Amino acid sequence: MADSDTSTLTRTDTALDVPWNVVVHDDPVNLMGYVTHVLMKIFGYDEKKAAILMMQVHKQGRSIVWTGQREKAEFYVQQLQAHQLKTSLEKSE
Amino acid sequence: MKIMPTLEGGLRIDLEDDGDWKVLLGIPHDALSCDESLGRRMGSLITDEEVAPDWEEYIIPDLEEAFQGELSHVATAVAAARVECGGGAGPLWITRDDADKWYGALNQARLALEEIHHFGPGENLNPAALPPDSRNAFLRSQFYCAVQSLLLEYVMR
Repeated sequence: MADSDTSTLTRTDTALDVPWNVVVHDDPVNLMGYVTHVLMKIFGYDEKKAAILMMQVHKQGRSIVWTGQREKAEFYVQQLQAHQLKTSLEKSE
Repeated sequence: MKIMPTLEGGLRIDLEDDGDWKVLLGIPHDALSCDESLGRRMGSLITDEEVAPDWEEYIIPDLEEAFQGELSHVATAVAAARVECGGGAGPLWITRDDADKWYGALNQARLALEEIHHFGPGENLNPAALPPDSRNAFLRSQFYCAVQSLLLEYVMR
């Protein structure tokens, strides 16, 4: 009876996670002060940064307010939608 | 109806008659007047096929529950204050702790009215040119917006 050896080959594939964008869209209902307030509350942005993003939403129709890992992006979108801001999620180009 | 900030950092609404109470009772009614719920409307913004099924199964029900919670809070607060005043003149208090729920309920009402009537930004809109239903809805929306502005300025900051 021949001896048998078992060898195990382990391969590791590493792939970079695609970053995801959290996008807030303009709407005619949400007040500008409220959008700023929510961005400060959820992301901890200072008032100046939150106001710049809010103005982008207002003037350009949308603003990428955060980019990063998918799970965290989903969490932020859920929080923004719970505050009734029109928010979507997209893969970063 | 008169609305003023309180020393404790909230708002006091002085209602004068049953008509005023009906205006406040209209908030949850307007919020639910749209055919498609707000949670579903929010969910429709998630179109990526990797994310959308989970959103449908887990997130939309959570959003619906949170939105309903805001409306129930406001409906209960108005009903309780109304009973206390016998439906006549009397105050209703919005404390700092209540402010987010009130703001959210008012926002739901405005979002629903916008979805139905498409007022747009509203600054250049002439209410007199609107059909009666839309005109009334626009004026309610403007009133809700005024209360929201007071909440933002005096309570939520």
